[in-house]
Amino acid sequence: MNPNSWISKIRSRLGLCEQDLQIEHLEKNWLYVAAAMVAFMVVILGIGALFLHLNPPSHWETIESPSLHLSAEFAEDKLGVQPTTLPDGTIQVTLVAARYGFYPREIFVPVDKNIQFRIASLDVIHGAHIPMTNMGTMILPGHVSEVTTVFPKPGEYPLLCNEYCGMGHDHMWSKVTVLTQDEWAAHKTGGKQP
Amino acid sequence: MKGILLGLICLGVAGPVLAEPSSKVAWTLETLNFVKKGNAEKGKELMGTCAGCHNDTNANPQLEGQLPNYLYKQLVDYKNGNRKDPTTAMNGLAASLSEQDMADVAAWYGKQAAKLGKGGASDPTGIVSKGDGKRMEPSCSSCHGGSGQGEIVDTPALAGQKADYLEKTLLAYKDGSRANDIYRRMRLIASKLSDQEIKQLAEYYSKLD
Repeated sequence: MNPNSWISKIRSRLGLCEQDLQIEHLEKNWLYVAAAMVAFMVVILGIGALFLHLNPPSHWETIESPSLHLSAEFAEDKLGVQPTTLPDGTIQVTLVAARYGFYPREIFVPVDKNIQFRIASLDVIHGAHIPMTNMGTMILPGHVSEVTTVFPKPGEYPLLCNEYCGMGHDHMWSKVTVLTQDEWAAHKTGGKQP
Repeated sequence: MKGILLGLICLGVAGPVLAEPSSKVAWTLETLNFVKKGNAEKGKELMGTCAGCHNDTNANPQLEGQLPNYLYKQLVDYKNGNRKDPTTAMNGLAASLSEQDMADVAAWYGKQAAKLGKGGASDPTGIVSKGDGKRMEPSCSSCHGGSGQGEIVDTPALAGQKADYLEKTLLAYKDGSRANDIYRRMRLIASKLSDQEIKQLAEYYSKLD
């Protein structure tokens, strides 16, 4: 191999001799194929992100994560099911994802109604997922994630974090209780801290 | 007259006043860098006052080796009244400090070697390392570290801390008299612990070496 080629230079930097790295001709060709595939994917991803605007789901709304508790919307006493609905009757739920839980830890929402979750992270990347439903979103620090869903079945559901967020990740879950319309009519308090 | 009218309109627009946040400290990059740049030498001059009460002769918490971020936040919270010392001594003292003083004294204590426990710690509750899923209770170690050393950004070190102080603190979180934890995180955790468990956990961490 040409001693001035870039591969040889890297080898000499790493202290590797030519005979240490005996790569079969066929093996080398497959390495090139794999590298080309990776490069191709990266280019596709880049085009998607930069020109087609295929960015993470949810809408683009930024917020300063470290001072979330000092903001108007995510202030500690403003979290949970909001007292007033949106003009189209959608119920808004404001949540904070922080290591290790979703706050408030327990919320009550009605069945068969549009529920719009607005979630922000206080620290690192989290995910929100309610099994057996289509509620799922990623929560990036610095952004407000917004996802709207309808729960078709009453019952108790866990709200899980599905992005590894630290040593307590497996403890990061909160409880969502979906009430029947009758129960909801009787239910006055909305979200509460258990 | 115009001024009064304007004032009245402003009052009307401002609407209902938000409840006080549990802490006014926000770990923005500026605050983190500010505390990081605390001058330990200057802090040494100030710590004489602290050492008068924070020493081995009483139940006041030991500060040596504590995370500077945690110490800084507590001092700011004391000054703002978000954390209330039952004796009011800490509120008065913190009020006399500037934010620079707080960062300096936090830096000095952060540089001292931590006084670890005597060893032989055992946790009969299982909450330290495993937590309790049925109660939605995360493990202590997930935030405070496997050896109770504390974690970023401001989760305090617990290893070797005085048992009396740890017990008193958990009980204060439980009954809500200490309320400077953002989003009630420690209050929610402590409220699910029995007094017996609190005693056992305090003992565990005080012995941890």
